[in-house]
Amino acid sequence: MSRRSAPVVVLLACVLVLTSCTVPRPRDDRPASTVPIDRAGVERVLSRYDQVREAAAKLLDPKPLSTVESGAVLAIDTGSFDVAQRLSRGVGSDGTSDQVERLAVPRFTAYPLWFVVEVRDPAAKVNRVQVFERGSAVDPWFLVASPETVLSTRLPELRERDGAALTVDPRSATGMSMSPQEAADRYAAALEDPSASQARTIESDDFRAQMRTAARRNAALDGVRFSQTWKSEKVTHALRTADGGALVFATLERVDSYRVRDGIQVTWPDDSPQKALLESGVSSSGRLRYLHQVLVEIPGGSGRPRVIGQYGGVVEAEGP
Amino acid sequence: MARRLAWPLVAVGLLLALAGAAVMVVLGPDSRFTTGPHAVRTDGVAVVTAPDVITYRGLQVDVLVEVPVNKPVFVGLGNTVDVQDYLAGTRRLEVTSFRAPWTVRTAERRGRPALPGAPTALDWWIADSAGLGGASISTTLPDTPVSLAILAVGASDLSGLRVTFAYGVRGGFGLGLGALLGGLGLAWSGVLLRRGSVAFTGGPRRPRRERGSEPEEEVEVVEEEVYVFVDEHGVEHEITAEEAARLQERLAAEGPDSTALDPGAAEPAATGPAATEPAATDEPAARVVPPPPVVYVFVDEDGVEHEVSEDELADYEVVDDEERDR
Repeated sequence: MSRRSAPVVVLLACVLVLTSCTVPRPRDDRPASTVPIDRAGVERVLSRYDQVREAAAKLLDPKPLSTVESGAVLAIDTGSFDVAQRLSRGVGSDGTSDQVERLAVPRFTAYPLWFVVEVRDPAAKVNRVQVFERGSAVDPWFLVASPETVLSTRLPELRERDGAALTVDPRSATGMSMSPQEAADRYAAALEDPSASQARTIESDDFRAQMRTAARRNAALDGVRFSQTWKSEKVTHALRTADGGALVFATLERVDSYRVRDGIQVTWPDDSPQKALLESGVSSSGRLRYLHQVLVEIPGGSGRPRVIGQYGGVVEAEGP
Repeated sequence: MARRLAWPLVAVGLLLALAGAAVMVVLGPDSRFTTGPHAVRTDGVAVVTAPDVITYRGLQVDVLVEVPVNKPVFVGLGNTVDVQDYLAGTRRLEVTSFRAPWTVRTAERRGRPALPGAPTALDWWIADSAGLGGASISTTLPDTPVSLAILAVGASDLSGLRVTFAYGVRGGFGLGLGALLGGLGLAWSGVLLRRGSVAFTGGPRRPRRERGSEPEEEVEVVEEEVYVFVDEHGVEHEITAEEAARLQERLAAEGPDSTALDPGAAEPAATGPAATEPAATDEPAARVVPPPPVVYVFVDEDGVEHEVSEDELADYEVVDDEERDR
């Protein structure tokens, strides 16, 4: 072997060393965490949800839904199935795997785990922004929120780090005019009393206008004392947007109470959910409980929150 | 400078080669180191590693768990977040530290006597296996925090548990071989570097080409006169210049017919590179060849010749045949 061949030998040896295998190394010392699901896993979750939903729709029985839904979504869908049964009409299958528009999976250090998927449903002409949650290691993925937006609505860009979506502490207002929980509370207060000071901190939107119109109409009924209350539930799901704001999934509880003067009866149209639940109407006093899931966008900086999607319905009725 | 680098290069190369050889010996051709089976004392339903026990990534691990009397058993590797949540409320034996090949520290954790759900029904295991009397997994540790769980299935427990553990590097034998060859290559390079530096500093000066810096083999041409004497048998004998001169004078005195020195051979021979070889010191010296001895013969009455010595000549009449022939 001559001196000229020495560099070749060294190079060959280095190549052998470098290409022979992957050397095991210690992990970094960051705390244990998980990005709980990948796109293939999400597809499986959505497929399973579709199957169960279709089976329930075919049977017109909401019981199978309890294996794939939980919380407010299950309550709202159970209510809609009850109404469909009483009105003898079908319910939509609400297939989720039509077209996945966007997927956001945060990183977690403890349970519960959750992720957000935006699904386009061209048939219903809506986008569903759904939250699936796994409460414990032995639970399956449950659909816990499903606000809908019109097809033209574009969700704000979400902020990511290391391929995982960033979450926002529901009680933190960092970078925003208010925290996600405050936004939900103020929105509920604005719906209950449009003249309240908190209402001025919330952007006016179609949902507020629609709810206000319905409340005014009920309050205008002759011989009926109507009251409406709104309350926000604890916010648990919020994602950081690229502008430093937040995309918040909030659930609002609405209770419509009727006190009717003797001899008067309040009724609803035959194909309405209220009629299905209060078949004979309200003759003395009655109460209807609704749940509304709203998708609130809190802009970064000092912008006011606004609702860009909602999904809700009557879940309980007391009467007559 | 090159000489300074030579020895460190040799040392590093040898160390690398030794390390490579050690890896090859320890891991073997299957690139794994196996230990066990080891008995694990527990009568619970779960044995699990604590969050910070498995700290490596990229390591190939194989775990075989065995329980007596064909009890159902499960072994799984999962993200630490999942495994810890799954077993948080369960009575378990937690492995709090592990050192290769098998130095284990454990701690009993209180909790419910049964698992919260069947491990085989969970979808988040990275690698898992279940069986009667034994189960095994073979996987590469991912770049996420993971925990290993050995779980009893159904109403059984883990009493009599034995664990065989193997770990290694996928392609580890190749890595060792690569390190060995690389180390030897480095060491050889160091040796060559040292030789090269000696040649540059202590060796003869050598001409260089006008273009480029590559050294060229130097040839020194030496001219030497060689004198050769050819004897009567045609054999050449190298003689010194002095011997040649003396021989020339002597032959000139004896007459031109007795000249034995080949005039052509006396010409200085232009020699090539072989002439640079040192002359042998035991070269035979030139010698003068005496005239051939006279043979005296007595012819008896039967015509038979008998050789007679010079001392017996007095008893005979000397007749010269050459003169008689002339």
